[in-house]
Amino acid sequence: MIGILGATGAVGRTAAQRIAAYGLGPLRVGGRNLTRAADLASSLPAPAHAVRADLNDPAELAAFCDGCRIVVSCAGPTYQVLDTVARAAFAAGADYVDIGGELAAKDALTGEGVAGDRTAVFSAGVMPGLSGLLPRLLAKGRPLRRLDVYVGGAAVFTPLSAVDALLTRGPRFGEPMAAWREGRVAPGTLAPLHQVRLPGFPVPVHAWPYLTTEAQTLATDTGADEVRSYNVFVSNRLPEALAATWAEVPDARPETLAPHAETVVRASLRDNADFGAFYVMLFTARPRPGAPPGPTRVLLTAVDSYALSGVVMALATRAVLSGSVPAGVHLAAEVLDPDATASALRKDVLVEGLTVE
Amino acid sequence: MKELAEIWSELLGLPPGEIPHDVGFLRLGGDSVLAVRMSALVRKRLGVALALSDVRVETTLDDLAELVRRHTSGGAPATRALPLTVTPRPDPHAEFPLLPLQQGYFVGQQDGWELSYDSAHYYLDYALTGVDGDEAADALADAVGRLATHQPTLRARVTPDGRQHVLPADAPGAVPQVRVYDLREAGPAEIATALRDVRQEMSTSGPDPTRGPGIDVRLTLLPGDEGRLHLGLSLLIFDGWSSSVLSRDLLAFVADWNAALPPLDIHFGDYVTSLADLPATEAWQADRDWWWSRLDTLPGPPALPLAADPQEVRPVTMGNREHRWRAESWAALRRQCTDRGVTPSTAMLTAFGVVLARWAGHRRMLLNSLQLNRLPIHPEVQRVVGAFAATMLLPLDLAAEATFAELAATVQATSGEHAAHNLITGVEVGREVARRRGSWRPVGPVVFQSVLGVDAAMGGGPPEEAGPLGRVVASDYFHQLRTPQVAIEVRCFELGPEMVAVFSLVEELFDTDQVTAAFAEFVALVDALADGSGWDRLPGLPEETEPGPASGLRLGLLPEPAVRHREGPPADDMEQAVADVFEELLEVPVLDRAADFFGLGGDSLLAVRAVVRLAKEAGVSVPVREFLSDSTVAGVAAVVRSRLGDQR
Ligand SMILES: NC(=O)c1ccc[n+]([C@@H]2O[C@H](COP(=O)([O-])OP(=O)(O)OC[C@H]3O[C@@H](n4cnc5c(N)ncnc54)[C@H](OP(=O)(O)O)[C@@H]3O)[C@@H](O)[C@H]2O)c1
Repeated sequence: MIGILGATGAVGRTAAQRIAAYGLGPLRVGGRNLTRAADLASSLPAPAHAVRADLNDPAELAAFCDGCRIVVSCAGPTYQVLDTVARAAFAAGADYVDIGGELAAKDALTGEGVAGDRTAVFSAGVMPGLSGLLPRLLAKGRPLRRLDVYVGGAAVFTPLSAVDALLTRGPRFGEPMAAWREGRVAPGTLAPLHQVRLPGFPVPVHAWPYLTTEAQTLATDTGADEVRSYNVFVSNRLPEALAATWAEVPDARPETLAPHAETVVRASLRDNADFGAFYVMLFTARPRPGAPPGPTRVLLTAVDSYALSGVVMALATRAVLSGSVPAGVHLAAEVLDPDATASALRKDVLVEGLTVE
Repeated sequence: MKELAEIWSELLGLPPGEIPHDVGFLRLGGDSVLAVRMSALVRKRLGVALALSDVRVETTLDDLAELVRRHTSGGAPATRALPLTVTPRPDPHAEFPLLPLQQGYFVGQQDGWELSYDSAHYYLDYALTGVDGDEAADALADAVGRLATHQPTLRARVTPDGRQHVLPADAPGAVPQVRVYDLREAGPAEIATALRDVRQEMSTSGPDPTRGPGIDVRLTLLPGDEGRLHLGLSLLIFDGWSSSVLSRDLLAFVADWNAALPPLDIHFGDYVTSLADLPATEAWQADRDWWWSRLDTLPGPPALPLAADPQEVRPVTMGNREHRWRAESWAALRRQCTDRGVTPSTAMLTAFGVVLARWAGHRRMLLNSLQLNRLPIHPEVQRVVGAFAATMLLPLDLAAEATFAELAATVQATSGEHAAHNLITGVEVGREVARRRGSWRPVGPVVFQSVLGVDAAMGGGPPEEAGPLGRVVASDYFHQLRTPQVAIEVRCFELGPEMVAVFSLVEELFDTDQVTAAFAEFVALVDALADGSGWDRLPGLPEETEPGPASGLRLGLLPEPAVRHREGPPADDMEQAVADVFEELLEVPVLDRAADFFGLGGDSLLAVRAVVRLAKEAGVSVPVREFLSDSTVAGVAAVVRSRLGDQR
């Protein structure tokens, strides 16, 4: 049995659809709204039934996980959920995959009282997720002088992901305006780029430097001399909306941030009205002089980043079930196989293009 | 009102009480040059910074008083006021940027453009009589030395990567040296040869401010107490107005060992430095919006038939056709212009436009006009030498069924309207046009330049008495000009009581007979304006508004080299190295081999810097012209590679 929590969401719907289509097993889909979950269950190309489950209700959550081989959570806000669902899954003897969580969740799940033989994979989405995984196609043991990450586009934020975006703050997540240079975070070394043309992006964009912890790990793992990582927007509305909220609300508690999610969603709607929907992931590598030849650019284009995240969730689930992920707590970018993931993505209709050249 | 009347009286040479309040500045004998001077005086005496667009030749004394009143009561529209102040820089020897037209000349000097020369410069020599042969050389050298103190721009240098600075007065080579040819004992043949040689040399190799002074002063001493003064002026350092100021200052110093000119508080570098704040002003932004909204509908240059593709020719000097109008004709022309309510400059511009339209076979065209462009942000701006000048792109749309007088009235309105948005200069507009059209051919290769009225603005003609140098015979002169990116230009200036018009052109580009015919037509038309017969006639313009389908080579309709590179990441280390250099200079990510330097935000000056940087990184010098002809990452890398191949 595969339990999918949050299966009716923007991410969850695609995750459930793909997991069913891969034929990984019968599904149990859950959320707080049973009717919607039931509707979804009936639409899937595999045996599936709906169960009401609120992740904040320990009994409901335990019941949901009971009997599952693996629990897949597409619910959020993930930086508030942290290890809640994962612990319930482990308690039921299940493995676990989560759309977000990052280091905060990973750390929460590590330590006492955690079953050592189970597997959990956090941050199995687009960003974080693919953004830390696909650039590895460019390194492969080759010494890099520089690695650039440009990810973003025009996507309507769901209220949940707006809260997550607002929670993405502080050193546990990343450092704005910083680059990675010679083995450490170099603060204040990059400036926002305005109205720049970047390969693969259909319009001139604004790119805001944000050295995520994911990018820092990427830097360490690939040994690149320099890493630059940018969040890309079609206008300055979203960066401004986020910055305005952070200026007004000094603490990072979900309750105080939630009312501001609305501003962020509105900004994304206006971007969407102006530019439509598109999502681009661009990674470029500059090998050190004399390094062996190899690809220097990965470019992925899609329309819907949420659906794309759902695909990644399904691929992560498949990888765990197939035994290719060792026991322990991981981040998807560090544990999925970049080549296998890329070839699976290339076959998916939700991916417009994925080139490695 | 009293102060204003006094300013007008000074500028126009009329008693203050006799200036009617309801008659335009132009009708009273003013012109656009004097109008700029007027706004400077108003600023100096009344502390009112008039907007540039406010001061038009049509303005009456009443209008002006009203403007000043609105400014002082705070009611004027704030958009055109220029909140810039010029103050002396703490370090007068610090580097400062080149202005846009200087950048154009600088890039031209690196052979960056088609139609460029090793030096952009103006050469002039004129006759002297009653020269004190034993004193003249020392007096001149001494005067140049004092001038280099009074006007530090004589000590200006340009760096290889396109910045400028002023050398300290005691730096070796800072003060321009005077060369003297003593031919007092020579025979006529020897003199003729010597004169031809020095003219040839100074016409074809001008002063190069990247190596030495931007000015080259020489003196030939001739038998019979005669002589000639030779001046070579780099256009990178001195504009047309500056050459008049320089001549005056120089002759004043030569004439009197003890002459002391009123000291200058500011210099060119101070002016340029203060312009750094310009883009932040509302006025600048308004001008940019004004120009940018017009770019896509600007016409091309007149589609003159060409004998060669400008890309293929390597001119050394420009050819001249010159005509002088005697004092009576020039005075008659001025009177006619005043009666018709246009400036003499407008009349000459319209005449040039008419001739070009008939030559090119269409009526709508883009001209490039050279403007003094000294923004009145400091009372001394007019007295300082430097390369202040700017170009202005000027579209002409000549109506088919209009008399010359009607055409001139329209041209005056159009050029006034465009000149009122002069905070964005022609070079900047041209860059944006080129970017949008994806063409790197010169945008405005047909140039109009008039300094009619400069003498009056400077308070009379240049001095004639020059102490040990004797008397200046201004009418006995020889001159030569080389400006890059120009196919043909007309220059109009006064010589004492006479007026001169010169067509300067790249002879290799045109059919000689056509040039001769066009110039004859121009002269005949100006004659007809002077005698009054030309104004109410239809000038016989072609029916077509736009150029027809090109038959043969035509200006503005030349083939564009179609460079297309496959898009993708830099293909090898060389392309990556070029991308790195682009990235460093442009401060944007350069991630694609098909990305173009200009499309990424570069300009020609940055291109020269890129070339300098590539020379350092790759150890090979890429000619600027080749860089510009295919300025993509892949294109530049290909040039570097082939140069490296040549070296081996
Ligand atoms: N890593 C990435 O690239 C990436 C990309 C997109 C989104 N995300 C993250 O993924 C999460 C989901 O985003 P989304 O856009 O899909 O949101 P969504 O459309 O609002 O969907 C949320 C889903 O979770 C369920 N849910 C919400 N609260 C729940 C609770 N307390 N207990 C159980 N189920 C609950 C919802 O169903 P009910 O309302 O019926 O409970 C719904 O099915 C967000 O945290 C977002 O930040 C990550």
